[in-house]
Amino acid sequence: MKASRLERKVGLVLAVGSAVSVGLLTLGIVAMGASQIGPLDRPFPRFDLGRVPADLAAIEPAGFLWLGLLAVILTPSVRVAASLVGFAASGERRMTAVALIVLAIICLSAILGAGG
Amino acid sequence: MAGLLLLVFGGGVAGAFGALLGLGGGVLIVPLLTLGFGLPLREAVGASLVCVIVTSSAAASVYLERDVANLRLGMTLEMFTASAALAGGLVAFALPDRALALMFAALLLYVAATMARGRGADLAVKPAPDDPEAVAPAPAEAPGNGLAASLSGPGYRVRNLGRGVLGSLVAGIVSALFGVGGGIVKVPLMNLAMGVPLRVATATSNLMIGVTASAGGLIYLLRGGIDPYVAAPLAVGVFAGASLASRMADRVDLRLLRVLFVAVLVVTATQMALKGLP
Repeated sequence: MKASRLERKVGLVLAVGSAVSVGLLTLGIVAMGASQIGPLDRPFPRFDLGRVPADLAAIEPAGFLWLGLLAVILTPSVRVAASLVGFAASGERRMTAVALIVLAIICLSAILGAGG
Repeated sequence: MAGLLLLVFGGGVAGAFGALLGLGGGVLIVPLLTLGFGLPLREAVGASLVCVIVTSSAAASVYLERDVANLRLGMTLEMFTASAALAGGLVAFALPDRALALMFAALLLYVAATMARGRGADLAVKPAPDDPEAVAPAPAEAPGNGLAASLSGPGYRVRNLGRGVLGSLVAGIVSALFGVGGGIVKVPLMNLAMGVPLRVATATSNLMIGVTASAGGLIYLLRGGIDPYVAAPLAVGVFAGASLASRMADRVDLRLLRVLFVAVLVVTATQMALKGLP
């Protein structure tokens, strides 16, 4: 059975997101090995979005690792956003609302997570 | 360096087991990290959520391309799995480690019992959509409102949406509390209660896991519950193991694997329970 255009596009978003995430994480692991960092070394770096660009520029493992982990966690949200655009374009109002609600819940997770 | 490789390898084994048996691998990753590497349970759950999202995104892309996953049904149920995962993520940070360990032991025993009855292997086999065993018996006049009808797919009609909502709430909480995908709840629910063919239910559950786990995962990430040094090698290992296993699924004796897996789960559940006892 052939997938509809929307399903194909959404599937592509997930495939690209997976490839980018795993690629970034692999770069981070290589950098960890090169920097002699073990997985159980403590304390581990805390997530700080503001530091990521500087860590990337300095080829610090944490920069690649956090960017990869962000890509992992945000890929499903990008998939929902892509679905939202597709549903809106095809006039599926009910599914557009569903996609908006799912995105709102994910945003609320980020807000509550940051507030803790 | 040895620790790094060990973690990649451990993730690979968990990913391969998960893919062959139709599970996300989270039920193995959390005990591996807590019992094997001595990590706190909450950090293990955070790392496991990352792995679960990676495998879900990779598998769901293929399921969507092949038109097996039901995007509209999955997204409708995601409203409830994601809400519950949000609540579960907040609860996980309020519960003591011991209580979480005891609850995880109970989850492992539930999964072991489900696998022993054969349901887990059913998930991995993924029969063809025209296989009569794959579709739960549907009533001649499938009841349902306009919404249920609009979520139905070719050859089946979604029913009992209310039960689907309740089950999705349970799956979401379980996912965020224990770092698992929740497919062990969602697949039987969609197949048996909602009339969705097994293959579609498995694919749709896989699609939903990503959003569910990311709602919980964001809370873990922003509250310092994800260790990048552990989560990254583990996720890459799980991705590689699951990809490899899905290519050799036809050559593996799933019955033997299931017996082995049940035994591992029972032993692990005992150890997790001991960890949780005062």
